[in-house]
Amino acid sequence: MNKRARSTIDPVTLATVWHGFQSLCREMRSMVTRTAQSYLMATLKDLSVGVWLADGSTVAVPEGLPGQFLGTQFAIEAIREKFKDDLHPGDVILTNDPYHGGHNSHLPDWGFIRPIFHEGELLFFTMVRGHMQDTGGSFPGGYFANAYDIIAEGLCIPPLKVIKRGVEDADLNALIYNNVRFPTEIKIDANAMIATAKFAENRIAEMLRRYGRDTVLGAIHEMMDRTERAVRAEIGAMPDGTYSGDSSTDDDGTVLDQPVTVRVDVTVAGDEITMDFSRSDAQRPGFVNCVYAVTYARAVAAVIIYMDPALADFHNTGSLRPIKVIAPPGTVTNAQYPATVGASPVNVGGQVIEACVEALGKAKPDRSIASWGKHRGDYTFAVDPRTGERYVRTTFDYDGSAGAVWGHDGMTGPTTLTTLGSVQRGSLEEAEIRYPWRMLKLEARADFNGAGRWRGGGGIDWRALNEGSDGRMATGSSDGDFIQVKGAQGGQSNPRSRTLILRGGEKIRVKPHRMAEIKAGDIVVKLSAGGAGVGDPFARPIEKVATDVRREMVTVEGARLLYGVVIDPATLKVDEEATLRLRSAIRARRYEAVINEDTLDIELKPVGETKGNTA
Amino acid sequence: MKQLTIDVGGTFTDCLVLEESGELERFKASTTPADPTLGFFDAVGKAARHYGEPLDAFLAGVEQIVHGTTLGTNILITERGAKVGMITTKGFRDSIEMRRGIKNLHGSMFDIFIAPYKPLVPRYLRLGVEERVLYDGQVLTPVNESELRTAARTLLDEGCTAIAICFLHAYANGENELKAKRIVQEMAPSAYVATSHETIPVWREFERFSTVVVSAYIGPALTRYARRLQDGLKEHGFGGRLLMMLANGLVQVVDECVDRAVYLLNSGPAAAPSAATYLGGLHAKRNLLSMDMGGTSFDVCVIKDGEIPTTTESWVGEHRVAIKMVDVPTVGAGGGSLAWMDSLGLLRVGPQSAGADPGPAAYGKGSEATVTDADLVLGYIPADYFLGGDIKLEVKRSYQAVEGIGKSLNMGSDAAAQAMYTTINTVMANLITEVCTKQGHDLRDFTLVAGGGAGGIHAAAIARQLSIPMVIVPRVAALMSAFGMFAKDLGLEYARSCFRTQRQIDFAEIGSLYADMRRQALADFARIGIAPSQMAFQPTVEMRYVGQFHDVEVELPAENLNAENFKALLAAFHAKYEKMYTYSMPWRDAEFHTFRLKATAARRAMKMAAHDKASAGLEAARRGSRACLYDGRAKRVETPVYDWDRLEPGHRIDGPALIDDKTTTVLVLPGYCCEVDAYCNLILRSG
Repeated sequence: MNKRARSTIDPVTLATVWHGFQSLCREMRSMVTRTAQSYLMATLKDLSVGVWLADGSTVAVPEGLPGQFLGTQFAIEAIREKFKDDLHPGDVILTNDPYHGGHNSHLPDWGFIRPIFHEGELLFFTMVRGHMQDTGGSFPGGYFANAYDIIAEGLCIPPLKVIKRGVEDADLNALIYNNVRFPTEIKIDANAMIATAKFAENRIAEMLRRYGRDTVLGAIHEMMDRTERAVRAEIGAMPDGTYSGDSSTDDDGTVLDQPVTVRVDVTVAGDEITMDFSRSDAQRPGFVNCVYAVTYARAVAAVIIYMDPALADFHNTGSLRPIKVIAPPGTVTNAQYPATVGASPVNVGGQVIEACVEALGKAKPDRSIASWGKHRGDYTFAVDPRTGERYVRTTFDYDGSAGAVWGHDGMTGPTTLTTLGSVQRGSLEEAEIRYPWRMLKLEARADFNGAGRWRGGGGIDWRALNEGSDGRMATGSSDGDFIQVKGAQGGQSNPRSRTLILRGGEKIRVKPHRMAEIKAGDIVVKLSAGGAGVGDPFARPIEKVATDVRREMVTVEGARLLYGVVIDPATLKVDEEATLRLRSAIRARRYEAVINEDTLDIELKPVGETKGNTA
Repeated sequence: MKQLTIDVGGTFTDCLVLEESGELERFKASTTPADPTLGFFDAVGKAARHYGEPLDAFLAGVEQIVHGTTLGTNILITERGAKVGMITTKGFRDSIEMRRGIKNLHGSMFDIFIAPYKPLVPRYLRLGVEERVLYDGQVLTPVNESELRTAARTLLDEGCTAIAICFLHAYANGENELKAKRIVQEMAPSAYVATSHETIPVWREFERFSTVVVSAYIGPALTRYARRLQDGLKEHGFGGRLLMMLANGLVQVVDECVDRAVYLLNSGPAAAPSAATYLGGLHAKRNLLSMDMGGTSFDVCVIKDGEIPTTTESWVGEHRVAIKMVDVPTVGAGGGSLAWMDSLGLLRVGPQSAGADPGPAAYGKGSEATVTDADLVLGYIPADYFLGGDIKLEVKRSYQAVEGIGKSLNMGSDAAAQAMYTTINTVMANLITEVCTKQGHDLRDFTLVAGGGAGGIHAAAIARQLSIPMVIVPRVAALMSAFGMFAKDLGLEYARSCFRTQRQIDFAEIGSLYADMRRQALADFARIGIAPSQMAFQPTVEMRYVGQFHDVEVELPAENLNAENFKALLAAFHAKYEKMYTYSMPWRDAEFHTFRLKATAARRAMKMAAHDKASAGLEAARRGSRACLYDGRAKRVETPVYDWDRLEPGHRIDGPALIDDKTTTVLVLPGYCCEVDAYCNLILRSG
C-alpha cells in the first residue's frame, strides 16, 4: 500500500474501518462463549481471537490471553511458507503444536486459522484459539508433569487443513477425534470456533464490499503507522538504559523443589525497546518450557500495558514494531523440540510477564505494576456418582487477585496477570450442579496479599468437599507455594500459597506441579495469596488502612505491623499519635503474612524467618 | 375517559394524553430531580390547562396513568441509594465484590490502570450466617437463628435501611431465605427486606445476589416516591389506576412492583420499542429498528417479526442486573455528546456528554463543542425555535466551540461540524450494526423508527449509511417512550430453575412447576382485581445443548408437556439455535434450566385518530428557510423549513428540507423525500 493512497482516506472512514475490526473481534469471542460447551471456554473465557493481514501483520487483537494469540504472526508466516499457493477460500487450518510451525503455547490450546480472500486475493487471516477440555496424552487436561517428551503430552497437530475449500477432511478429523477424550464434546467446541471464523469472514467481506479493498487496507496501514508513532513516543519518553527483572516458578515438576528462573534485561534506546531473555535458565527436563512465540507474546503484552491507557483500544503491528525480543534457543524462554511445555501458559509463561513488568517499572516508576496472585489451578478427574460419568474439572475460582498499580489498589476478583485478567471466575451453583464437589467456602482472607501504599487485591480461601469418587488431582497449573510475586516501588511481595487435603484428621500438603490422589470425602483447601503491592505500605493513607480494618481486609495486627497504623481493637479507632510515632521510627523489621498449616490461620511473621518449600 | 402516560426522563418529563377519540396531545415539563413528583404534576398541570380544567377535575376524568421513570437508574448511577446490608451464606460474602473476576467491564483489556470495583454493599455490611441449601433444593442446614439475629442487629445498628438476603441455591428452595426474611422483618418492621429467590429465582449466585442488592439499594427511595405519587394523585381527585412501566416491557400496579424494585430500572426506555411496533404496524412493517436519541444517550432495539427482544445479560453502570429486561442497547451519543481528539489524532464524539448543565456551548454556559452545536452550525436546528423557543441558542458560541475542534483537524468550522455530524452518526450506525448483525439480521430488511428529541436530524443520515430503505419519524418522536406505554400489557413474570436433560425430564414435575407458577399468578392478579378470564399465559424455557453454559429461550407448546409436544419443543430449539448461530446439533441431547411463565392481561387496544387528506397546499405550512451544509457540497444550500403542526396527510416534501415542531426538528436530506401519513408521522425514503 503506497502512502498516497493512504493519505486520501478521510478520517471518518479511517475510524469506521478501524473500529469495525475491533468490534468484530469482541463479537467473535462472545459468539464462541455462547456456543461452546467447555467450562473453560464458555464460562471462564479461556480463549482468544484476532485478525491478521496476509503477511502476518497484526490488525486487531482486542480480546484474549496474550500467550494464546499475540504471537500468531509466527504461525501465519509458517503457514504461508508451508502451503504457499495451496491456500483457498473455505480452508480451515488447525494447529496446537508448539513446534513444526505451530508456534503454540501448549497442546490443549487449539487454534483454528482461516485465510480470507477477496476476489481471489488472500488478504487476511482470522484465528480463534481456545483451551480444549482434552487433547490426549497420559492424563486429561494437559497440565500434568513428567511426560517423557512432547509426544507423551498429547496429540500434536502441526498446521493442517481440517477443512479444505469448505469440505471437512473426514480422515484427518477421524484421526484427531479418535485420540482425544470426550470426542463429542470437543467436536462441539471445534464447531463453535469454526462457525465463528465463518461469521468473521462474512463480516470482513461485507466491509471490503462497502469500502473497497484499497480503502480497507489503506486504513489498516494508516492505523498501524499512527499506533507505531504513538508507541515510539511513549518509549522515547522512558529514560534510556537497561533495566532488569526476574521471576521464578517453584520447580519444573520433574526436578523437584528447585526454582526455575526467567531473567530479562530490557534496554530502552531512543524509541525502541529490546527485551533480552539470554540470562534465563536453560531449557528444563520438566514441563515449564516456553517456545519463542509465546515468550514473545508475553513480553510485548508487558510493554503494551506500560503504554498510555488511552492507546489501549488500538494495539496492532504498529505497537510491536519498536519492540525486539531476544531469547536464545535452548533457554527456558525458547525451548527446542521435543521439550515438554504442558505448564507453560502458567509457568514459566507467567514468569515472563512478571519479569518484564518488574523491569519496565524501573523505567517508568509512575506507572508501576505489581504482579498478581499466581494461578492455583489443578485438573481434578474422577467419576461423578450422579451420572456414573468421568469428569475433569478446572477453574479460576480458587485464584488470588490482582496486584496493585501506581494509583490504585489491586482489585479483588480478577485472576492471573498473564491473562491480563481476560478470563473469568465460574459460578459456584453451576459448579455444584456440574461436578460432585460441595463448596464450603470462597472468601477473601485478611492480610493475605502484598501490602503497599496501594495494596494487592485480596487472597482467597477456597474449600470444597469431594462427594464423588476417588480420583486424582494434577496441580500442573499451580504455582506460588515457594516463590512469591514481587511488588513495586517498595510495595510488598504477595504471601506464599498452600493447597491442603484434609482427610479425617490428616492434613496432606499438595505442592504445585504434582499429581495427588484424592479420596471420596476429602476436603481440598486452597489458600491462594492475593496480589502484590505498589509503594511503601507506611505511606498508605491512614484512613484507607482504617477502612480496610473495618472491612476485615486487614487485621488490627496487620495495620500495625504491615502499615504502621495503630488501631484500637475494641473501637476500631485510629490512635493518631501512636501511629505517627510508629511511622516515623526506623523499621527494624518488616512483616509478611504466612499460612499456619496446622490452624490454617494467616499469621504475620518477620520477613525471611519462614522457609518455603522445605517447611 | 382519558388515558395518560408520563415518562420522567433525565431532562424532561413527558406527558401524553390519549382522548377517547384517539387524539393525542403532547406536554413537556422540566424534570425536577430533587422531587420528581413536582415535574410530574407540572406536566399534568400543563395538560389540565390545555383542556381548560382545574387539575382535580382533569384527573377525575382520567381512567389510567402509565408511568415510567429514570429515578431507579439515576439513583444507581449516581450512587444515592439506601445503605444496604447483605446477609448471606457463611463463607461466601465476597461474590458481589469479585464480580466473576471481571477486570475491564468497559474498555480494553490492555488498560490495567483501573480503580477497583466498588460494590453497592461494602464488605463490613456483608455478613455470613450458617445455613445451606443444596443444588437440588434439599435443606442441608437450616438457618442458624441466633447468628441471623446477631447479623441483622449489627446491620440495623450500622444504620442499614434495606437488607438483601442472599443464600446459595435459594432459587431451588426459598425456605431458608423466607425464614430469615420473617425474622428480619420482625426485628425491623420498617426496613426494606428483599430475598434473592423472590427477586429473581434463577441460578448463578453472583448474578442473583447482585440483582437483589441493586433492588434493595434503589427499593426504599422508589417505594417512597411511588407512595408519594399515589397519595398526591389521590389528593388531586385521581380515582383511576396508576401503573408502573417495568424493565421487562410489562406494566404493573405500584403495590406489586415496589418489593421487586429492580424491575423499575430502565422503565422509560423499555417502552420505546412498543411505540415502534405500533407505528410500524400502521405501515405493515414488522422488522423495525427502534431508536431513541436524546441528550446523552442513544438507545436502539432490534425488533424482528414484531417481537420485542429481551435479555438477562444486562449491566447497569458497573452492576450486574440479571432480570429479564427489554434489550435496548445504549451508547453515549446524543445532542449533548462532546467532540474530542483521541491519542492517535482521530476525531471522536461521545460518550462523554455536556449533560443538561452546562449543556451544549450554544446554551451559553459551556464552551466545548457538542453534537447540538454542530447541528446548529450546519443550519439544521433553529436558533430561535429550539424546543418551541423555550431555549434560546447562541449560534456564535457554537461556531467558536466547533472551530476549536476544527483547528485540531486542520479544518474550518463548517467542515469540522460536518465531520462531527458524520462521526456521531457512525457511532450510532455501528451500534445498530453490532446488535443487528450479531443476531444475523440484514439491515436492509428493516425500517428505522426514529424517536428522541435529536433523532429526527440524524435518522436519515444513519439510514443512508446502513442502506435502510425507510424511516418513520413519529409525530410523537420526542415523547417516544411515553407513547410506547399506551401499548403495554399488564403483566408479571415467574420463573423456576430446574435442571434436567431431555432424557431426565419428567412431564409431571414440569407440570407441577407450572401449576405452582399459575397459582401464584392468579393470586397476584386477583389482588389487583383481574379475573382469570382476562389473563393470558406464555410459558417459555431456557435450554441448551448438554454441557453448554449459555441458554436459548424457547416457547413451550403448553404448560403440560407430553411425548408429542415435547418433540415439537426440541425441534423448535434446534431451529432457533441454528438461526442464532448458523448451525445446530440435533444429534446432541438438549438440557433444560429455567422454566418461565409470563402472565399478562391485555389492555384496551390503543387507537390513534387518523386525519383527513390535505386540504391546503404545502406552502401553507412553510415557515421560512435556513442555509444548511450537506456532505459533499461546498456551499450552503438555502433549505425550506416547514411547520409540522400545519402539515397534513398526503403532503410530500422533497429534500433538502427541514420540518420544525415545538419538540424536535426533522431533516430531509438532499436526495430524500418525505411523506406525511394519515397520523401525521413523517416517512422518509431515499430517491
